[in-house]
Amino acid sequence: MDKAVALELRGVTKSFGSVIANNNVDLTVYKNEILAILGENGCGKTTLMNMIAGIYFPDSGHILVDGEEVVIRSPKDAFKYKIGMIHQHFKLVDVFSASENIVLGVKDGTRYNLKEVNNRVLEISQRYGFNIDPKKKIYEMSVSEKQTVEIIKVLYRGADILILDEPTAVLTPQETEKLFKVLRRMRDDGKSIIIITHKLHEVLSISDKVAVLRKGEHIATVNTSETNESELTEMMVGKKVDLNIHRSEPVDPQTRLTVSGLTSTNHDGIKVLDDVSFTARSGEILGIAGIAGSGQRELLEAIAGLQHLDSGEITYNNPKNGEVVNLRDKTPLQIRDLGVRLSFVPEDRLGMGLVGNMNITDNMMLRSYRRGHSFFVDRQRPKDLANEIVNSLEVVTPGLNTPVRRLSGGNVQKVLVGREIAASPKLLMAAYPVRGLDINSSYTIYNLLNKQKENGVAVIFVGEDLDVLIDLCDRILVINSGRITGIVEARGAKKEDIGLLMTKTERVVIDTEEENNG
Amino acid sequence: MFKKVLSLALVVVMITTMCFAFASCKKDNADFKLGVILLHDEFSTYDLNFINGINAAAKELGLTEAQVVFKKNIPESNECYEAACDLVDEGCDIIFADSFGHETYMIKAAEEFKDVEFCHATGNQAHVKNLPNYHNAFASIYEGRYLAGVAAGMKLNEMISSGKITADKAVMGYVGAFTYAEVISGYTSFYLGAKSVCPSVTMKVQFTGSWYDENLEKNTALALIDKGCVLISQHADSMGAPTVCEEKGVPNVSYNGSTLEDCPSTFIVSSRINWAPYIKYICEQNMAGKKIDTDWTGTIATDSVVLTEVNTKAAAAGTVEKIADVKSKLQAGTLHVFDTATAGFITVGGAAVTSHKVEDKEVVVDGYFQESKIMSAPYFDLRIDGIELMNEDYGD
Amino acid sequence: MAKKDNTARIHEPLFHIAKRDALPLGKTVLIRASAILISLVVCAIVCFVLIKINPLELYSTMFEGVFGTSRRIWKFLKDSAVLLCFALAVTPAFKMKFWNIGAEGQVLVSCLASVACMYYLKDSVDTWLLLIIMFVASVLAGAAWALLPAICKAQWNTNETLFTLMMNYVATNLVAFFLIKWTPDGSSSLGSLPYGHLPQVLNEYLLLIIVVALLTVGMYIYLKYSKQGYEISVVGESQKTASYIGISVKKVIVRTMLVSGAICGLAGFLIVSALDHSVTTESAGGQGFTAIMVSWLGKFNPFIMIITSFLMIFLQQGADRISTEFNISNAFPSIVTGIILFFIIGCEFFINYKIIFRQKEVK
Repeated sequence: MDKAVALELRGVTKSFGSVIANNNVDLTVYKNEILAILGENGCGKTTLMNMIAGIYFPDSGHILVDGEEVVIRSPKDAFKYKIGMIHQHFKLVDVFSASENIVLGVKDGTRYNLKEVNNRVLEISQRYGFNIDPKKKIYEMSVSEKQTVEIIKVLYRGADILILDEPTAVLTPQETEKLFKVLRRMRDDGKSIIIITHKLHEVLSISDKVAVLRKGEHIATVNTSETNESELTEMMVGKKVDLNIHRSEPVDPQTRLTVSGLTSTNHDGIKVLDDVSFTARSGEILGIAGIAGSGQRELLEAIAGLQHLDSGEITYNNPKNGEVVNLRDKTPLQIRDLGVRLSFVPEDRLGMGLVGNMNITDNMMLRSYRRGHSFFVDRQRPKDLANEIVNSLEVVTPGLNTPVRRLSGGNVQKVLVGREIAASPKLLMAAYPVRGLDINSSYTIYNLLNKQKENGVAVIFVGEDLDVLIDLCDRILVINSGRITGIVEARGAKKEDIGLLMTKTERVVIDTEEENNG
Repeated sequence: MFKKVLSLALVVVMITTMCFAFASCKKDNADFKLGVILLHDEFSTYDLNFINGINAAAKELGLTEAQVVFKKNIPESNECYEAACDLVDEGCDIIFADSFGHETYMIKAAEEFKDVEFCHATGNQAHVKNLPNYHNAFASIYEGRYLAGVAAGMKLNEMISSGKITADKAVMGYVGAFTYAEVISGYTSFYLGAKSVCPSVTMKVQFTGSWYDENLEKNTALALIDKGCVLISQHADSMGAPTVCEEKGVPNVSYNGSTLEDCPSTFIVSSRINWAPYIKYICEQNMAGKKIDTDWTGTIATDSVVLTEVNTKAAAAGTVEKIADVKSKLQAGTLHVFDTATAGFITVGGAAVTSHKVEDKEVVVDGYFQESKIMSAPYFDLRIDGIELMNEDYGD
Repeated sequence: MAKKDNTARIHEPLFHIAKRDALPLGKTVLIRASAILISLVVCAIVCFVLIKINPLELYSTMFEGVFGTSRRIWKFLKDSAVLLCFALAVTPAFKMKFWNIGAEGQVLVSCLASVACMYYLKDSVDTWLLLIIMFVASVLAGAAWALLPAICKAQWNTNETLFTLMMNYVATNLVAFFLIKWTPDGSSSLGSLPYGHLPQVLNEYLLLIIVVALLTVGMYIYLKYSKQGYEISVVGESQKTASYIGISVKKVIVRTMLVSGAICGLAGFLIVSALDHSVTTESAGGQGFTAIMVSWLGKFNPFIMIITSFLMIFLQQGADRISTEFNISNAFPSIVTGIILFFIIGCEFFINYKIIFRQKEVK
């Protein structure tokens, strides 16, 4: 290959405490090339990129730009070498316009002239095919527009090497495709692009080369055209993985939960839930799809008694005695006292589902510590449960006394899901239960959910990966800006259709699923 | 854990008490030790005055540094008793405390340690407690205040004659701590001193409710200046009032010591109690094996009440001579501060004062109010005419 | 290549900071011990340069000032117990991440409440009954002083730090007000009152020390083994988790602050009935703020807090002794204690982080 080398890493090592995030990593990025960095969560992708962008400083190793060794101590240094990074979490000032955000912090010695900035922003947009209004304020923008601002911000500073950290996590399939088109144009313009992702199909569609990291080490860099999904997975995980989810047919589905007309506003007076109605049935997994922050969290929290409601009803059909209980305006404790067997795996595992600084036993106790009339807590039973979960779900931990925040993401999730399932629920809600998990842990979780479904539990599953939703769920509810835009039968559903619903503001009838079950 | 520390501690005690046992054999003068308990430290003008007096007395008596033990920043609580006990352990023969609130705790210690003398400045319990080893002391500071008042009156006269103010605008301001007899006696004698040379003078007194609060004292002085006071004096222990006076260019008659260094253009004169004679007295009595008076009052004659140098830059001409003149009259006993005989000099509600009883004893005798006779602590607390109390409710 | 490496290393920062894993106990003890050692050396230098006193003499004076006589040891134990009592009071609130800096005021009002009982009831009731009344009044006063900020925090999410701080000033002025009211001579000094003295066991300190020792054990058990203690930990770690599992955060905040305030009330009662028999605006003596440090340094563990209280009181009394012995202003001993505390607190950084220096040779 006769492409010029843009960036080269030699033997870069970085550790946090005793954890080695990157070990002796060599990596070469060429001009006119899109390089995908692939690896499971915690494999050191982001750390590696942060060292290039000046956020971290390597413990040892060398970084070369255009063949010259450089020292990058800060993002400012990185810009000096024309390296720019677009982070997963945007760093924009809400009340500023796109152009104001873009020019913020630029010290090129010229006078601040917003008109000129606007023109340059437009010029960059046209060149690469962005679609942006420079005068639009950030708070009026969609997530994908904000991302565009972040990218232009980097280009405006003259970056030739762009690093994008999981840029598609917040995008719909359509928006992803648009982004990829832009990225390809940039590549053709001579830029080097590094994209971090763990979605295999995206890697295959966008990149020219793939660098696979595993446990902080660089495994290999391969040409995308010469590889396939299963080979990449094997490199990522280190062994062969069965990528199929075994979905069974629902057995005797009964209505377990009925939600009708839920409406809720947040502190800023914005409607986070808008007339949401659906039913969840026993023996069935109901998926919830939507762009992040479309009301999924509020919906689950409303059912769990944590979200204030303006109007609407939530009723639970108790399978034990056939009673119908109203859950509206009840606290979590009242809901439990009503005999509702509701388990909830929240999105924020360490901030809500578990207490990071407590050990596994004390985290088990969260659900059960009230038991008995004693003034003191009983730690024996939670300890037994903790042991059982550690053994049956193969939780890797130094011991039961280790604070759970010190466990890896997958093990944290096993502890949380294990505890919620141990309460033998009749209704199980899980929000993004595989986010940040490695492939093996993800499949453990899918299996656990499937098993609950087979046991007759009504499962509600909020997911972000549409492929998984389609493979795992029985029905998929699509939500956008707090409104349900459609409920589709998962079997045979098309990703593009769901993606379309994710951006619609009104309910669209895609199929006749409602009548089928009416 | 606790037990371990305790036992360890006890071992340490045993060793050290053994060492002390050898050290604390009975004394001659070289073994004499004075213990001093101070409410604050040298940063308070009140305590600094004590420290200076004690050091001066120690120098005169030839006491070494090791023979005078200071305990500073002792609050008016059981800590005072604890400090006294610790001083006893150190072998002090006399223990002296400087703050009014120390008194009950000093008495507690005096009851416990019969062979140690306890002397307390500003207290008023000794004459009723009848403990042979507990004593009160004060000084007739009202005499000093009176002299300082004379200097203030001269300054007012100068302002009037130069046309700066009219006679009816001769208003003085006084920052007081509490509506406590010590303060009342002080400001009244100050006022009387001024009135003796400037008959038209009136005074406004504002209380802070604290012995030491620099900000509050500043603000109070400012408030008084705003109300038209052309000269300020104070009875509180911080530099608050003098500082404000210097900033505003208002003449200031100070207390407890000279503030000349910080207020070169407004400081006139300051009166203070000189504690050196008393300290010297108690030490000498103790060394000679003689009794110490239950209530001791220092006077201008014993040099217990002194005035600083007059700042001629701020004071009116002739002030030094006038003060010397009045002082000699006071010393001779021909002039009395609380003179009830001269018509119109001291009136309460327009009427002359002919009788006043303190603890059932008549104190208006021979044409004057006898301050510091029954006990050393001041007890003059009449609200005389010509002095306006701005916030008296605060104290009652 | 080698040449290039050299030029590169010149640009490399001299050192950078990285987080460490949990250190084994032995190493943390070593770090803390060396911190104290270094602080002593630094103090020695400062001491020698500033006041020309032999540092060894300085330290032996400190020791002598704290352990020199049996009376001093008792005072040391008593002062530590009082400080520990304050620290025990703030600990449940701190564990809940409720930054109660109002122990000072809570103790002060309970002192005031106790003294009010003494002042008004005098000897009209038996001493044992008066003591019970004083105890109840103190605990109620302390609890009430803590309750107000707790309710406002729970209901309207007001800032508890500012609120409790303000309550300190209110308490101080309330005491000043009553002192003026109770001293008709205007002196504002009440003096030791002869009523409601706590019975003495051996001496006037031992009973107080025993009470605080029992309280320490009780607080340890409460925080570690009771359901309420568990709830405090959960609320402190994450209010979201607490709501998620159905703990009423408001209820826990109010309840815990009541406990905090009640213990402050106990502290106030002990100060008045066992020691001062009086109240001044200085009755709490600033220990309400020192207690915050005791609690933090003790990592909210009552047993470690025993050691930290000992440390604080040792430094305070040692410093006082230096001031007395060498007849210097209290400012200097404060510098010494400041330096020692700086190192003790500062060494926590080295327990949590390590510093990586520029390496000489890269292989």
